[in-house]
Amino acid sequence: MFGSLCLTARPGGAVAAPQAPAAAAAGERRFEQHVRPLLVEQCQSCHGASRQSGGLRLDLRESVMKGGKSGALFVPGKPEGSRLLAAVKHLSGAPQMPPGRKLSDVQIGALEQWIAAGAPWPAARPAPARSANHWSFQPIRVPAPPRVRQAAWVKNPIDAFVLSRLESQSLKPNPPADRMALIRRANYDLTGLPPTAEEVEAFVADRSPNAFEKVVDRLLASPHYGERWGRHWLDVARYADTNGLDENVHYGNAFRYRDWVVEAFNRDVPYNRFLQEQLAGDLLPASSDAEKRSNNIATGFLAIGPKVISEVDDTKMEMDAIDEQLDTMGRVTMGLTFGCARCHDHKFDPISQKDYYALAGIFKSTRFMQTMSKPRMWFEHSLAGPEDQAKLDAHTARVKAHEAEIARFTREATARLEASLPAGAALPSKPETSFNAEDKKQLAALKSALDQLKKDAPELPGAIGLSEGKPVNLPIHIRGSFLNLGEMVPRGMPSLLASRIPTQMPADHSGRLELSQFVLADQNPLTARVAVNRVWRWHFGKGIVASTDNFGALGEKPSHPELLDWLAARFKTPTDAAGGGLGWSLKALHRLVMLSNTYQMSSAHRPEAAAVDPENKWLWRAPIRRLEAEEIRDSVLTSAGSLDRSMGGSLLPLKNREYVFDHTSKDLTKYDSTRRSLYLPVVRNHVYDFFQLFDFGDAAVPQGDRSTTTVAPQALFMMNSDLMIDAAERIGARLAERTELGDTERLKLMYRELLARPSNPREIEQGRRLLARLRTAAPGDANGPRLWGWAAQVLLMSNEFVTVR
Amino acid sequence: MPTPHIQRPQTRRELLRNSAAGFGYLGFLSVLADEARAAESSSSRIDPLLPKPSHIAPRAKRVIFLFMKGGPSHMDTFDYKPLLERDHGKPLPFDKPRVQFAPTGNLLKSPWEFKQHGQSGIHVSALFPHVAKHVDDLCILNGVHGTNAAHGGAVLKLHTGSDNFVRPSMGAWVAYGLGSENRNLPGFITICPTLAHGGVNNWGAAFLPAACAGTPLGHAGLGIDQARVSYIDTRRVPRQVQRMQLDAVGELNREHLEQSGPEQALEGRIHSFELAYRMQSEMPEVESLRGETEVTRSLYGLNDPVTAPFGRQCLLARRFLERGVRFVQVTHSNAEVQWDQHSGLKAGHDRNAKEVDYPIAGLLTDLKGRGLLEDTLVVWGGEFGRTPTAQGSDGRDHNPEGFTMWFAGAGVKTGIRYGSTDDYGYYAAENKMHIHDVHATILYMLGLDHERLTYRYAGRDFRLTDIHGNVVKEILA
Repeated sequence: MFGSLCLTARPGGAVAAPQAPAAAAAGERRFEQHVRPLLVEQCQSCHGASRQSGGLRLDLRESVMKGGKSGALFVPGKPEGSRLLAAVKHLSGAPQMPPGRKLSDVQIGALEQWIAAGAPWPAARPAPARSANHWSFQPIRVPAPPRVRQAAWVKNPIDAFVLSRLESQSLKPNPPADRMALIRRANYDLTGLPPTAEEVEAFVADRSPNAFEKVVDRLLASPHYGERWGRHWLDVARYADTNGLDENVHYGNAFRYRDWVVEAFNRDVPYNRFLQEQLAGDLLPASSDAEKRSNNIATGFLAIGPKVISEVDDTKMEMDAIDEQLDTMGRVTMGLTFGCARCHDHKFDPISQKDYYALAGIFKSTRFMQTMSKPRMWFEHSLAGPEDQAKLDAHTARVKAHEAEIARFTREATARLEASLPAGAALPSKPETSFNAEDKKQLAALKSALDQLKKDAPELPGAIGLSEGKPVNLPIHIRGSFLNLGEMVPRGMPSLLASRIPTQMPADHSGRLELSQFVLADQNPLTARVAVNRVWRWHFGKGIVASTDNFGALGEKPSHPELLDWLAARFKTPTDAAGGGLGWSLKALHRLVMLSNTYQMSSAHRPEAAAVDPENKWLWRAPIRRLEAEEIRDSVLTSAGSLDRSMGGSLLPLKNREYVFDHTSKDLTKYDSTRRSLYLPVVRNHVYDFFQLFDFGDAAVPQGDRSTTTVAPQALFMMNSDLMIDAAERIGARLAERTELGDTERLKLMYRELLARPSNPREIEQGRRLLARLRTAAPGDANGPRLWGWAAQVLLMSNEFVTVR
Repeated sequence: MPTPHIQRPQTRRELLRNSAAGFGYLGFLSVLADEARAAESSSSRIDPLLPKPSHIAPRAKRVIFLFMKGGPSHMDTFDYKPLLERDHGKPLPFDKPRVQFAPTGNLLKSPWEFKQHGQSGIHVSALFPHVAKHVDDLCILNGVHGTNAAHGGAVLKLHTGSDNFVRPSMGAWVAYGLGSENRNLPGFITICPTLAHGGVNNWGAAFLPAACAGTPLGHAGLGIDQARVSYIDTRRVPRQVQRMQLDAVGELNREHLEQSGPEQALEGRIHSFELAYRMQSEMPEVESLRGETEVTRSLYGLNDPVTAPFGRQCLLARRFLERGVRFVQVTHSNAEVQWDQHSGLKAGHDRNAKEVDYPIAGLLTDLKGRGLLEDTLVVWGGEFGRTPTAQGSDGRDHNPEGFTMWFAGAGVKTGIRYGSTDDYGYYAAENKMHIHDVHATILYMLGLDHERLTYRYAGRDFRLTDIHGNVVKEILA
């Protein structure tokens, strides 16, 4: 219960203790490893900050040395005669500590050794000067685009920054991608779906100078844009439809947050507003009910995290959930890892434990749980309108009527029973157990109907989210333990930026609104950098800062720092400012990026460039990437002609708060829908196996940089799953119907429909050979759906189908 | 400062991360590794599951973990408490823990009789008559304790060392630390794991290379007869047709690769299909029990419907162990929380023990007979024990404060009890072993130093034991 919640980092020599003699350092290390945890876990609930049984306090050096009411505990360096050791050894005549149980020999040995070594206890020392000079904490500068030799290649300033780096490495950028590759790239990047053959052909034929610009604008205007980029955001928001962790219950209203995200991207809500609504939407003024609802739904962001929902200890449950929200907020918005400071000052970034509890106080003052009594329920904003309320009232009335009916029937049956009893006999204390068979049957039927009726109660629509609680401050939790409290910390902003962004904390509010203003303040150098870097990562497969969720000292350094700052500055500058910024518009940022030559390069491999820069760090070519899980499935369904493009809603057939798995391992979740993958249920701890295989991740922590693995189980899925074989058979059936066409024509059609490109003669020749072989395996079915399905599955399994280049 | 066991690759980091893989990938990885060796000296950078030397001389080469989901009662199985019987019905004479899962009443004696067994004379209750015959092969740990009183947290703690973060499973650490001896099977297999209470996190790799993750065979909600690797085959496409398809895919992919130029991920995908094809013929052979003799089958209780399901799990586990899988977990859980007898203790524990007692005894006999017990560590236990105090008249509550696990096989002292609980079995008292100590000791038996088995992730070196854990050398032979 009191175990350390965070690993003590091994800094690999980077951050060492101040110069101390090696022996003393070793003694202090042994104390930290073996003695302090023991005192925290075994002793301090009675001899700690909140309680000092026997006047003894074992959490501070001075009080340990002083001892309790009965005097000193030991003489440093002299274990013999120690009252502390006598107590833990349960020696006769000494108080037996801890009461009712004895420490292990190893633990007692550790205490003995520690005393023998002179009882070293490191003095609390001021936090070492951690890197406040770290690059990401510096103000954003607006660098001028550098001069380059190959100036003609520069279409917009992005190209100048990229080319300048390439030239300094004596590298040349690749030539432009061919149009088929480019439109496929743009389509998947912006919508997660393949272009149709017609769209490809139109683009290839369009000779106007702004042909690609038109494609980009068309795709940005498509509702599928919000689905694709909303899904990216859901990755960092660790979106899921269930709680996960210890008890996997249904977050029945989480989908509203998902749909809100999709819509926000489609409406191009400015990123600063987008973030603010998610952090503090419930506190923002709203001009209509609809806006109020939307703002409330947005606060689902922090509320949908995994919680140890059945944690026996209320305080631990709450502090763990606060930690989860605080850490998520930090990573997602500013690339800061606040979680590290729960137990100790951050080892690498200038975030102190005090900073942590100043922020934690804001979340402690925020309401995210409806009830802490079990079964626990998280907070939900009511979205019920008059109609919903009327429905519920009608249902309540029906239940009441039914109960009255049962009461009436029971009365009558009791009367019948009474009449049937011999005169003078007393009515049994539970008359219904003595009813005649017919009455018993009827009563049981009535009761079971009532149970059913109650089960069918309409659920009022709600939105999982945050609301205001009682404003309180939190004390420092020493070593992260709520049983060992230190000084009280007023709510406030991390000292790292607090001087640059003065914030007045309200006494009567949590301070969440102020937190959102702090995150988005013009002087906050992190938020805009983190945002443009995310967008870059999702276009180029790798961020300018590769560690998208960590901009601290342990994150990666930017490959193109000037470009990052230029983009960040431009992104957050208002549109009406001199020079015209993007005003936090994501769609404008996409246009800027995609209309650069950098984006439009081919991905072709050039041995001489690869020799200099094998990882393509300097962007001499466009990346080749495998499609993500959702893109693969959506493409397969598109090819099969079965993709259902309707938007929004929930596909999890469970009531709100119902168990996905309780004690059982029965899986009721179905993934056989033909809706876009975005809408499939995300069940934490039991993510759809196809998603698991193709690197979807677990949705428990923010994930701004999905990995891409290549494993044989993926190949098994492509070969053997119903999803693939169903799709192949549907395509097969379509091709088999075209009896007017010969093999060659049908093969051409297959290429065009599945890969959106014409086939070449060699491919047709290969296809004909394949057909001939397949026909030997299916005598009598030379042109049927099955045979053509087998052939189509080959293309679905091919590298080209799952690759964007 | 300990040196990390394996340096996190720098130059090929992307590759490791991106090509780390599920089980089928292993063969492919060795292909890749062969290719890469020319360019890169350290092949373990490429293949996280290449066999690696241990830190210290190993006593065990592999582990089988028999996980009793729900929390079997120690006072009713392997932790004999005469005073509990004497003081039945009286209140517990000392404080209950500050945090309890649910309120409990007075002391409740065990409904089962305890008898001494074997040379060692260790007491075992009537619940485990067959395992009792092996008591001289057991190292019974009576002083185990944990930190979490709810199933979810306790199951996660036992499997990953953490109850509030997603961390690699113990089996994943072992696969990572030692690699796999069989290039065509996973390093970590979990048979019928439970999907509740942490689910996949209990066999996941978290930030370790994905190849270290456990490969599940079925889950607790399915019958053992359906426990197979997902998508291992299909009835819908004949095998000979798949061969033709894969030939054609290979041809297309090679041409595609020629156009794009060398690209590791694309090459990897070409290999992955060939490996998948091979695996789908090999895996069913391991999964099938057809080759097992009648004698072996009855040893595991396959001829009795009560013992057959868990017996099949154990027999399957042995087949994986003898083929070099490092860590095999067998979970005993039905669609309920099998051993969680808040009420109905007598009937529930009777039924549960009947299902596993005979097969576990059979497994021990079989491992011994095949010489496998010498270098296989057998671990038995649940996520916590139960309270000596009663819930209702015939139930016991969760108790992480003190409970029992046992080891058998490679490298442990046998026929001993190590550690104890208090007179009634509530708190671990002497020679306590925290879950972290159990982890440290298991790793030690495998030749891994829990303080050196680290993985650098997000700038920190992580361990299975976090900052805790002591190796309990007293139980080593």
